[in-house]
Amino acid sequence: MKTLLLGLGNPIVTDDSVGLKVAAVLKERLAGRTDVEVSEDYWGGLRLMERLAGYDRAIVIDAICTGSPPGTLHRLTPDDIGTQRSASAHDVNLATALEFGRTAGVSLPANSRIILVGIEAENVLDFGEHCTPAVDAAIPRAVEMVLDALKGLEIGG
Amino acid sequence: MKRISIDPITRLEGHGKIDIFLNEEGDVANAYLQIPELRGFEQFCVGRPAEDMPNLTARICGVCPEAHHMAATKALDGVFHVDPPPTAKKLRELLYSIFYATDHTTHFYALGGPDFVVGPEAPKEQRNILGVVAKVGMDVAKHVLKMRHDGHALIQMMGGRRVHPNWGLPGGVSKGISEEQRTEIEARGREAIEFAQFSLKVFDDIVLANSDYVKLITGDIYVHKTHNMGMVDAKNCTNFYDGKIRVTSPSGKEIHKYDAAQYRDYVAERVEPWSYLKFPYLKKIGWKGFVDGEDSGVYKATPLSRCNAADNMATPLAAAAYKRMYETLGGKPINHTLATHWARLVELLYATERWVELATDPQITGKEYRVLPTETPTEGVGCVEAPRGTLTHHYTTDERGILTKVNLIVGTTNNNAPICMSVKKAAQGLIKKGVVREGLLNMVEMAFRAYDPCFGCATHSLPGQMPLEVTIRGPEGEVVERLAHYTE
Repeated sequence: MKTLLLGLGNPIVTDDSVGLKVAAVLKERLAGRTDVEVSEDYWGGLRLMERLAGYDRAIVIDAICTGSPPGTLHRLTPDDIGTQRSASAHDVNLATALEFGRTAGVSLPANSRIILVGIEAENVLDFGEHCTPAVDAAIPRAVEMVLDALKGLEIGG
Repeated sequence: MKRISIDPITRLEGHGKIDIFLNEEGDVANAYLQIPELRGFEQFCVGRPAEDMPNLTARICGVCPEAHHMAATKALDGVFHVDPPPTAKKLRELLYSIFYATDHTTHFYALGGPDFVVGPEAPKEQRNILGVVAKVGMDVAKHVLKMRHDGHALIQMMGGRRVHPNWGLPGGVSKGISEEQRTEIEARGREAIEFAQFSLKVFDDIVLANSDYVKLITGDIYVHKTHNMGMVDAKNCTNFYDGKIRVTSPSGKEIHKYDAAQYRDYVAERVEPWSYLKFPYLKKIGWKGFVDGEDSGVYKATPLSRCNAADNMATPLAAAAYKRMYETLGGKPINHTLATHWARLVELLYATERWVELATDPQITGKEYRVLPTETPTEGVGCVEAPRGTLTHHYTTDERGILTKVNLIVGTTNNNAPICMSVKKAAQGLIKKGVVREGLLNMVEMAFRAYDPCFGCATHSLPGQMPLEVTIRGPEGEVVERLAHYTE
């Protein structure tokens, strides 16, 4: 069984880099685990789906904007954000991308085995290499949430 | 009419916002598109070494990093006063052609295609890439994913890194290709040509064979007679990687042809109080407002504009497809915004043919793929055709090569004014005397989806796409109706 922990983000857009920073900590914490791969990427939608191909389980860590206070952690599944079925102005969303991939025969983790950990962002519009303080302070908690989620996925099989 | 100032959009809302203003009679007076845009890139770059730019700028945008990488690399050629050897130029154009084919494929099947292949009147839950698969057949999903996979794999092989290439250097590229790699690139390219031909056939069979769709494409609400911009080679054929910038008038006459380095003499940017966006226009004609016509400085830079601004396509199959498009739609130029989808497929075919042409060029495996810069760095402009429009990078450095000034005009920005005009015109066609016709949202979306707008925002952030919200306001600014395509 192979699990992918994937930090998503743009390293030069302030809080949008938080997923990558969480992944960097996870890399150290999980060094030596051969059944878990920690990686980073920059894309959602179709490319994210393509990135998940071949894994049994996945946890995706990303900045999120829902209106909660900055630094709030959200634990979601693709179904939670997958209600939109209309054509979008840009990429397709993850749920649509996953369904499309499965239609084409891509081997993907079941939706129940994909967990999204979202860290509420404050600033995702200005260029900068550092997160805002509240988001930065949430990184250790996000790491724990991912490790918890990983345990849950492993118990769940 | 009461003036409404629109709040700056935030990622909290996370979607593009259109405000439509009605007059006393209930007809559309104005329509504005608001979208999020990243800020402060120039300040972020100043003080850094110019050589960082190909990698830094590739991070601006989650959609076309290869285009930024290439424009930045070309700008560095200028900054360091080096002319790359032929092999380097060909390698760059080869990678760029592969990127183009991949990007245009994604747009047609995932983003633009649903409007036509599935149909503008289809229920919205079917109007997506899954609907395209349902209509065209399961195999198309596999083909689309294969095309994307091959494109990404070849870019990684050539560029050294998946997604963000780490490759372009002033004076050339960091590595060449072996004969074995070349063979692989050529083989994938030949398959890509077939796929592009198949895609044009899908367009033929499903879109052009349906008189309702053709009527929609040629219908008045999607017509704009603006100037057209595109890069051309020495024979005035479209080129994505290099050439002169050519601008033609709404009636098809060449009015400008210039080196990218001269862009400041030809393009100026207008600032409007209601938007963060800048609105580029043709400087020598001047800004006359958001209006069509020979006297207006508004121009478009899209796949269709590139076709309009050129005399032909440089490869045989694409040239035939190009000719057919103009014959079918009544000659040059084509001013129907929705025909941009067709033009994108013509370009897809050209990109794949060019891919094979370059992969079979005797110089492509050459070992001379870089010359070392020896002169003191100063200033440079790099320009390519990004899938979404002419992309210009302009850097100035001190004598150590540290950036002192950075200016970018990105693909979509060229089209900011025409996008607003297209949205307004579609709204005018669909709202009369305060009555909003059903399907407004999608018809308005279609108007701007044709431009394949990329708003430089980190589009991957959850929830991972940019839904659109339309607000219709009365003469006093009161909200009459709000339409949205998303659920929460």
